[in-house]
Amino acid sequence: MAEFLAYLIAGLATGAIYALAAIGFTLVWQTSQMINFAQGEFVMLPAILILAAVKLAGLPVWAAAILGIAAFIALFGWGFKLVIVDPMIRHGVLPLAIATMALSIIMKEGAKDGFTAEAQRFPSLVPQETVSFLGISISLQHIAIIIVACLAIGTLQWFVTRTKTGRQMQASAQNPNVALILGIPVAQMVMLTFLINAALAALASILISPIYLAKFSNGEVIGLFAFIAAIVGGFNQVRGALAGGLIVGVIDSLAAAYISTSYRLAVPLVLLVVIILIKPEGLFGRKEERGV
Amino acid sequence: MTGHILELDKVVGGYGRITILNGTSFRIRRGAITTVIGPNGAGKSTVFKAIFGLLNLSSGAIRFDGRDITGWTPRRLLEAGIVYVPQGRNIFPELSVRHNLEFGAVAAGPNITDMPARIEAALDRFPSLRQKADVQASTLSGGQQKQLEIMRGLLLDPKLILIDEPSIGLSPLLVQETFGILTELRNKGITILMVEQNARSALQMSDDGLVLELGQTRMHGPASNILHDPRVAQLFLGGAMAEAVGS
Repeated sequence: MAEFLAYLIAGLATGAIYALAAIGFTLVWQTSQMINFAQGEFVMLPAILILAAVKLAGLPVWAAAILGIAAFIALFGWGFKLVIVDPMIRHGVLPLAIATMALSIIMKEGAKDGFTAEAQRFPSLVPQETVSFLGISISLQHIAIIIVACLAIGTLQWFVTRTKTGRQMQASAQNPNVALILGIPVAQMVMLTFLINAALAALASILISPIYLAKFSNGEVIGLFAFIAAIVGGFNQVRGALAGGLIVGVIDSLAAAYISTSYRLAVPLVLLVVIILIKPEGLFGRKEERGV
Repeated sequence: MTGHILELDKVVGGYGRITILNGTSFRIRRGAITTVIGPNGAGKSTVFKAIFGLLNLSSGAIRFDGRDITGWTPRRLLEAGIVYVPQGRNIFPELSVRHNLEFGAVAAGPNITDMPARIEAALDRFPSLRQKADVQASTLSGGQQKQLEIMRGLLLDPKLILIDEPSIGLSPLLVQETFGILTELRNKGITILMVEQNARSALQMSDDGLVLELGQTRMHGPASNILHDPRVAQLFLGGAMAEAVGS
């Protein structure tokens, strides 16, 4: 039982990371109806940028973190929207999806060639120790990840539902044409979702990299699992992405422990197929109809 | 202030390469209800989009209250006193009625400081919406949703309301109720420019009528004249009406 609970907590911690990335998927989907296939690389890159600032520019970690995160949000929030999304989206969803696939390759290879192909240690926010609770040995890092991610998601949920700007963001997502005629700055609200997506990815990167190390290929699994999490929870609901992330994280952890580490990647995919067949809008999603 | 509040002067515009408005010109009397009628494709809804800055014009000018508003953004037009209620359902279904209403105040400038009181007053005016103020707007009936849209538009004390097909999807009773609200607003001095498929009922409650065809003004004058014009009756008000007028 203690072993099961330990795996459960580890799964919740990685699930919280998937949830952060999945929420980014859903926010961008809701405002722009696009899927960012480079989302995994968005989680991989901030840690690499921070390490590069430490090792190549000789900055202290705190300064490198501020600079790296700011540069990432500017480049992959603001810049991504202006340089890739805006020019491509008028040509339809498919060219944009392909463009984000290309971006993921560029980011991954760029991190490998521009920095290093080796996995790098990344400083942790908390000591790499464990604490015992009711006979269970729990990693402090896992606890920190769950707490920080929950706080971030709670703050985001508060912002979206309780503030005027957040509600304008919701309005811009639900009905951009009507939002425009009411004087809501729709373009700014859409840009805000891209900035939030980049910030969530940066947070996920800082939380996960001390455990998985910072490596150019980290985005592959995170991107896939976050995508599955968003579909499982419901692509059009933030709470769905949260639930989906936690479910996928726990299933991944338990599958690795009790089924096979070799086949662990397949288990969330099976879950994805089941959800698509039984409840295609996701566990918490709402059905959407689109005109042709 | 009397006279005309809105003027379109040889406006040309459309969608991409398709021109819908072919030199549209007309002037709208201040404090009157004017109903725009015309066949499908005449440019009725497109005129509203042109006025509200949602259409790129290739030429022509639009003047409101003596100012050239051609090319103004919706937000600037809201600040100037124009509200646009498009056809269909224009609410945010997952937000509460109160939050939907708050969006009517987004364009409020610094001079408007009593917005919370205005929202409460608006809710008081429609008791059925007051009861549902904190529930999702998707639970409202079609008529209540249209009331919510009108209510939302009134928060900024507009001088001109552009309302497109307010009767679509409403029962005859709710149509009369909606027209009653518009008449009440006219009596308070607000100018209303309306596109309405239910042309006969709309003209009966209007002061002026305007017939658009192929993006040009064909007739414009007192609503009763338009209503009883045999050509208009034949083309837009149904044959029975035409025969009645003819006899």
